[in-house]
Amino acid sequence: MKFRKTIHLHSIDKVKGPVRKLLSAAVALLSLTAMSAAIPPRPEPARLVNDFAGILTPQQEWQLERVLVAFDDSTSNQIAVVTVGSLEGYTSSEYATRIGLDWNIGSADHDNGIVVLVKPKTGNSYGDVAISVGYGLEGAIPDAYCKRIIDNEMIPRFAEGDYYSGIAAGCKVLMQLASGEISEPREDKSEFSLFGLMVSFIIFSVIFFAILGRGGNGGNGRNNGGSGGTGADDIMRGIIIGNILGGHGHRGDSRPSGGGFGGGFDGGGFGGFGGGDFGGGGASGRW
Amino acid sequence: MKKGTTALVITAVIIGFLFICALGIFIWGKNSYNSLVAGEEQVSAAWSQVENVYQRRADLIPNLVATVKGYAEHESETLESVIAARSRATQVTVDPSELSEEEIAEFQEAQGELGAALGRLLLLTENYPDLKASRNFSELQAQLEGTENRIATERMKYNETARAYNTSVRSFPKNIIASIFDFTPKGYFKASDGTENAPKVEF
Repeated sequence: MKFRKTIHLHSIDKVKGPVRKLLSAAVALLSLTAMSAAIPPRPEPARLVNDFAGILTPQQEWQLERVLVAFDDSTSNQIAVVTVGSLEGYTSSEYATRIGLDWNIGSADHDNGIVVLVKPKTGNSYGDVAISVGYGLEGAIPDAYCKRIIDNEMIPRFAEGDYYSGIAAGCKVLMQLASGEISEPREDKSEFSLFGLMVSFIIFSVIFFAILGRGGNGGNGRNNGGSGGTGADDIMRGIIIGNILGGHGHRGDSRPSGGGFGGGFDGGGFGGFGGGDFGGGGASGRW
Repeated sequence: MKKGTTALVITAVIIGFLFICALGIFIWGKNSYNSLVAGEEQVSAAWSQVENVYQRRADLIPNLVATVKGYAEHESETLESVIAARSRATQVTVDPSELSEEEIAEFQEAQGELGAALGRLLLLTENYPDLKASRNFSELQAQLEGTENRIATERMKYNETARAYNTSVRSFPKNIIASIFDFTPKGYFKASDGTENAPKVEF
């Protein structure tokens, strides 16, 4: 009884403090959300190429997306290309890192995401480009390499107004460097079909033995000659049912790899971002 | 006889009730305590990341100073101020189990001075085209820039982790457990401190 009373007093005593603190926390939270509101939200369905500034033609966008999705499929490294019209007061590297963190680019196991951010040169404002590298690729792609990619591959082409080939050339080098460190084919496809095969095999054998067992039981009561025929029939039926079920499992399992995020591209769309973390590594440039 | 059994039953019920209450309080207390411990652990992990990236910057400085010295011998005053700021900054350490507001502010100030000294040094390199053209210097500059961005990122992450922990320490009813076991709120990095924007590496 006494204990409860002290708790009660304690809570009343504390209320005044928390209200004030809650208010300040709310203000802090508000400014925080206002700050992060400037970062574009994670695209839905997930895409690797996000041309918010509109500097790529649909054809170029599709071409880049195809290459980057294929790279993601074969090595699990995710390179996201983002173009924006304004940096909203951030530095370009900060902005790129925040996109990486907000969108969770790269896999949670390897933190192997890369953000290539381009803010095109417009009128009297500078053009900005930044590469931000996830924790897991910082060893394969050190800051100085990023700087060199930006200075040698990207900016000379951007200065001529050719954004597509600048981005493509930069991504090409990034892909070479990244695949040297982490190169794990996406496991969903092969593993899922293996899993599906196993499931269909188990289902098949369960049905097979169940039918075999029932056939055997039935045979006990009757004479042997008759039961042989029905047993074989049941086995055949079991095989057919097993195949149908197995086929179903297969089709159902292989689906999420492509259809999970509704990507509608030829070779199966992009499977979505995976929870990668960023520490701010990378470089930026200006022209 | 009958009266005796009712009394017994009532006593049993009361004892059972008290037992359940005690068990409930124990489980609640245990869970709160453990989540506070986990939260505190996350905050100190985030803090050690912050220290890592500041250390990374400090490690770059001797190399940077040596490189600049090769091209700009007359600027020994600026170079010395960087070295002095570096040694001051590396001396200021924060107790990771406390992470008090004051200690973090002190740490931030010392590191901010180092950042400002670095900014002056980099501004001065503008006058030495040979230095700017050297590959060694441009790589160091790229590393320094990446490190500044890492510092900004890890500070942001630390602040977010500390904010989540502080909220759980201060919010009712967990604050009861927090005050019993002396879990104190952690300090934050303050943004836009003036010194904050000093180390502009890009030109």
